[in-house]
Parts: sequence; C-alpha cells; structure tokens
Amino acid sequence: MIASAIAAGFVATLVMTTILRGASELGLTRADLPLLLGTAVSDNRRRARALGYVFHFVFGIGFALAYVAFFHVVGRGGWMVGALLGALHAVFDATVLVNVVLPVVHPRIGTPETAANEIALVEPPGFLLMNYGRNSFLVALVAHLVYGALVGLIARP
Amino acid sequence: MTLDYTGRRYTQYDVRSGGYVPIEEYALIGDGRTAALVAGDGSIDWLCLPNFDSPSVFGAIVDAERGGQFALRPAIPFTATRRYLPGTNVLETTFTTDRGVVQVIDAMTLPDDRLPPMRELVRSMEAISGRVPMAWRCMPRFDYGRMSARCGWRSGVPVATSGADALGVASWNAGMPAWRDGAIEATCELTAGERALLVLTSAFTEPLILPGRAAAMARLDATIRFWQQWSSARGCEGPWCDLVLRSALALKLMIFAPSGASVAAPTTSLPEDIGGQRNWDYRFCWIRDSNFMIDALLRLGCYDEARSLFWWFMQATALTEPVVHVLYRLDGGPGVPERELPLDGYRGSRPVRIGNGAVEQQQHDIYGGLFETAWLYSSGHHRIDADTGAVFGRIADHICDIWRRPDSGIWEVRNGPFHFTHSKVMCWVALDRAARLADAGEVPNRHAARWRREADAIRAYVETECWSADLCSYTRIAGSRDVDASLLMLPLVEYGDPAGDRITGTIDAVDRLLRRGDVVYRYRATDGLPGGEGCFLNCSFWLVSALARSGRVDQAAALMERLAARANDVGLYSEEIDPHSGAFLGNFPQALVHLALIDAAVALSATPRRPRRVS
Repeated sequence: MIASAIAAGFVATLVMTTILRGASELGLTRADLPLLLGTAVSDNRRRARALGYVFHFVFGIGFALAYVAFFHVVGRGGWMVGALLGALHAVFDATVLVNVVLPVVHPRIGTPETAANEIALVEPPGFLLMNYGRNSFLVALVAHLVYGALVGLIARP
Repeated sequence: MTLDYTGRRYTQYDVRSGGYVPIEEYALIGDGRTAALVAGDGSIDWLCLPNFDSPSVFGAIVDAERGGQFALRPAIPFTATRRYLPGTNVLETTFTTDRGVVQVIDAMTLPDDRLPPMRELVRSMEAISGRVPMAWRCMPRFDYGRMSARCGWRSGVPVATSGADALGVASWNAGMPAWRDGAIEATCELTAGERALLVLTSAFTEPLILPGRAAAMARLDATIRFWQQWSSARGCEGPWCDLVLRSALALKLMIFAPSGASVAAPTTSLPEDIGGQRNWDYRFCWIRDSNFMIDALLRLGCYDEARSLFWWFMQATALTEPVVHVLYRLDGGPGVPERELPLDGYRGSRPVRIGNGAVEQQQHDIYGGLFETAWLYSSGHHRIDADTGAVFGRIADHICDIWRRPDSGIWEVRNGPFHFTHSKVMCWVALDRAARLADAGEVPNRHAARWRREADAIRAYVETECWSADLCSYTRIAGSRDVDASLLMLPLVEYGDPAGDRITGTIDAVDRLLRRGDVVYRYRATDGLPGGEGCFLNCSFWLVSALARSGRVDQAAALMERLAARANDVGLYSEEIDPHSGAFLGNFPQALVHLALIDAAVALSATPRRPRRVS
C-alpha cells in the first residue's frame, strides 16, 4: 500500500508540476512552487530551484501518503474522492499554507509587513495566489484536482 | 586617435520634440540577455523583458505616448553630459543645474548568488554638489503597450503585473513612490554627498524577487568589475584602440548569453527615413553578420564567445540544412513572422514591425558568410566535428545547384530577384572555403572537385557578366551599369587582387558614385520600397577597409578619422546616417557597423589578417 502511495504521489506530482509549468508558459500564472520552496534554504537561484523540485516531490509523495491514509480511514477511495481531497488541498495551500505557514518558516518571503531593505525577498503569493496572476488559483485548483484524482486512481485502498 | 567620450557634447534638455529625442542621444546598457536605451535626458525609452526579442515594457522610442518609459531627471532645468565608466557598459550621466550637480549611474546588473531578480536595472543617484530636486516616473507598458497592467504593492514595493510578466521598482532615499495614471512616480531632493537608489526588478513566469539595497549595490559593483576585467582581457592596440574597445563592448551587449547568438541590433523599427516605411525588426541573428562577428571575436580574444556563436550557428542551420535561412531567432528557431503593431512609430514612422519578412527570402550571399565563418573558426585551430562537416558538405552541394539562380541579395530588396554580383562572389567564397575545409580534413572531400569546378565557373561568370568596362568596375547586378557598396566586400573576402585594376577600379567607382562626404550610400537604384534612406555606416567602414587593403592607407586613415567623429557622445553608431544633418537613422546601435569598424581598424593597423592561432 505504501509503495503504491509513493508511486501515485510521484506520478501525480509529476503531472501537477507539468500542468503548473505549462500554465506558466501560457502566461496564466507566475506561480513557481519549486522556486518558492527552494529559496527557503538557498539564495542561489539554480540551487534553490533544484532543491525546490526535490522538496516539491517529497511533499507530493508525503501528501499522497496522507491521501491514502484518509482513504483507509473513510473506507473509500478512487479518483472522485481523490479529486475532492485535491480541491480541499488547493484551497488550504492557497490560503493557509502560503500566507500563514510559509512566511513563518521561509526566511525570504515577503509579507505586507516586510520591506525589501537588506535581503532579497520573494514576492508574496497573496490571498488565493492572486499576486501571481488572476488565474493562479484556478490553475492551482485544476493541478490539485488532477493530482488528487491520480492518487485516488493509482493508490486505491 | 583617442576618443574623449566625456563631455564631447553638452546639451540642454528641457523639451522633447513631440516626445522623441534624436537617435544619437541614446546610450545602451544591458546584461547579455536584454538591453535598454537610455536617452541623454535620463529616460529609458526602450527595454524588452525578459529577452532582446521579448515584447517591450518601455517602448517610448517607437510610441512616445503609449510605449512606456522610465524617466529620471532633475525637476528643474538642467544640462547633461554622459560617458561610460572606463572599460564598462555602465553609463554615468551628470546633470548640472543652477542648484547643484547630480550623477546617475545606470546599469543592468549581472546575476550573483544573492537571490538576484530575473532581470535587474539599477539607477543609482549621487549629489555631487548643492541641493538638487530629482523626479522619477516609471510607466511600464507591457507587450508593446497592448496589455493593460495591474498596479499594486508587494512588501512596500510598487509592482505592475500582466500575464506572465511582472515588474517592480524598489527605491531607497528616492522619495515616496505612488501610483498615478498607471505610472510609479516620486520626487526627492539630494544634497551633496547624498545617495539614492532605484532598482527595477522584473520577472517572467516566476514570482518577482524584491532585491535588498546592499545586494543590488554589490551587484552593481561586481558588474563594473566584470566589464573592466572583460575589457582588460581584450587584445586591443593601435591608434583606434578606444574606438575598437567601445565597439567590442557594444557587441558584447548584443550577444544573447544563453545561446551565444547576437542580435543585429537591440531595437525594432527605428526608421531609415523619418516618417518613412523602412522600419524593420533587427532583434534576430543574421547569418551574414556571423562571419564578421566570429572574425572580430577571435581578433579580440573572445574565444568562448566565438565558440558559442559557432555552435549556435551549427545548431540553428542544422534544422533547415541544406537550405540556410537568412536569419534565425536567438533560440535558433527559424520562424519570425512579420507583423505590424498599432504604434505611432519613431516620429510618426509607421509601421512598427515585429518579426522580419526577410526570413522568407533567398539570399545566396549568406552561404559565403556561413563557410567563411567555418573557415575562420577552423583557422583558429578549432575542430569541426564529423557530423557538422557532413552538413557543410551537403550545403556546398546545394550551393552548386543554386548559384545560377537570382536572389534578393545582401540588401534584401523587395523588387527582385536579380543576379547580384555580391551574391555570386559570396557563393564563390562558399565553394572556395568548402574546398579549403575539405583539404584540411574538416569536411568530407568526395565532392571537392565539383566545388572547385563550380567556384571557377562562378568566377568566370563574375569576370564576364558582372564587369563593366565603361565604369571600370564590377556592377551591382550582372549586365547592369550600377555600382553597389557591397562590392567593397570583394577585397575583404579575398576575391581578386586587392591592389589589382579590377578591385581598385571598383573601389574608385563606389567612392565616386556612392560616397557623400565621408559616408556611403549602399546603392542608388530602386529596391521595391517607397521612400529614401540615409548613408550606410557599415559601407563607409567597408570603404576604409577596402582602401587600406588596396594599399591606399593614408586615404583610408583620413576617412576613418572622419567616421570616428560621426560616433555619438558615447561612441555608438546606428545603421545609417543622414549625410547632410548627421542625424542617426535606422536601428541603434547596429552590430554590423561596429563589426565593420573593427575590421577597418584592423586593416589600418596592418595586422596580418589570417591565419590566426587560438591559444
């Protein structure tokens, strides 16, 4: 079960990353999760982005394990339940995670209270990621729906 | 000759004529990915983000009202002088007012390991004396002014966003910025010794990085050091050293660092005729420029840059070989469809075009440039791998098949095709170099005999069909009675005896029929386009080179002196010049002019042209 959850997490994160990157290339959003995550530990752009991808996949697999655990607790799984979880996950990410949790643990992310004086700051995502473009939340929602559906599909309880 | 770039001109800037300044009032700053034009009055009127060929965010040079700009100047009447900091592409503008003097340093910084923005433009102010009120206004207009922007704030920094683009202006001691009518603006007063800083930060498909003051200043210092070190490593000597070094620095700014390709110029649609339609997009890499560029890079000791350009070149042409396109995008792609933008154009010169329709043309001279490039590269003791050599072999076979056909020629005429003499000669160059490369073992030699045969046939054609006994000159087109400045290239590509009757006769004919004062028209014939044009500065420098190579060094040196005085106050040239007013015309600055300048300086310095060894 754990192995299938890990595999599902990897595949779903890969697809989600592709969707996010594709939306970025289409000009729909400036959200760049690997850069956002990686700059928490490095101010070297190249290293930050590489580490960010590692974190992204680790988190993606971690969340997949949590999804599968949830499937077992409620006794239901499948792509629809996964997609529903994905939607909740997107709302959590776009509100609490990036605006409350991330500024606490991320030394280089801007907030409305900070100013770029001495160290460089990464532009804060804003409510529902709106700072990164009006369509950012929509893109994140679609990406998370697909992520959840894939986890549900691949890692059935 | 040593150029004094400091304060050669001293101009009162109080009124812009219709929102525009003369093209010669601009200086170029850049970071190897994009470049900005800074006017003498402190306004940045052209900047494309994130790359040279991206849409502009400041485009006031092609539409003063809608294009967008980043103005920074004293809030009271002033005069201004400018220079590049010695050996750098960092611009220093000194504003003098009745109340004091302020210096502004403008640079696009190079990235470091302190979380740099994707692109960063630093404008550092320092009051030298007195107490000077300063005003700045940043008016971003994304996508050539076609996209509306969302204006907001991030961590106290004003930010404009549009689609995948974002731009912010961080400021320190430069007043309280506020949004007004889609522009960020503020005023401040600087007293002697006081500094202020503006940092334009931009992002594309990623979150903005809001830089810290110390990091931005550190990047500015590192950028100055980088340019100084780069300049000091250039093998530049002789009487034209300053001019050559400034040209080298300008050319370096036009090389797109990620791929090694170079733009013909960093601008689009600066007119060849004020109010006219000859307005083209030069933000692409022309194959014909590359042999000049690689030659210049090798001469200047820029071996890494030469290697990058050569391999970019091979990668780009591999997609289309044996047909070689006239120009390619900076990423090596061949598609650059030409479109017109709903902008007013520089001083009403419409249309403003993006993309370049010349990509569809057949221009046979580019094959000569391609093989000359390969020969120069190989002569520099770089090896050409077997696959690339095979590609060259197929292209040489292709030239044997097509050289008898007419083409659009080096000047990309739109009423052709014709049998241009220059194109035929460049096909000869291609086959001559192909045979030499085959002899050197760089290209498969099984068709070398055919290449030599066809090269001889081309030479016979040129000597009989493209020679006019009446003019005592080669002609522009086979059978015509016109001359063309491109014929000055013949001694430069080692066609014929540079001191022989035919070459010297041709140089004399071009000098007699096309030179006006110290500058040269490219031709005086119809080309299928309405309107006039100025004299081409690259042709003027080719005349210097041709004169020097034919042994008339004093005449060449005198002309070079006069052309050197045609540079603007910071040592840059546009594509063309009005022979009467001296006003710059066409895209600015143009790589080919600076490449021709370097070649002319080398010819005058009598440096042995080939072979060269690369250590």
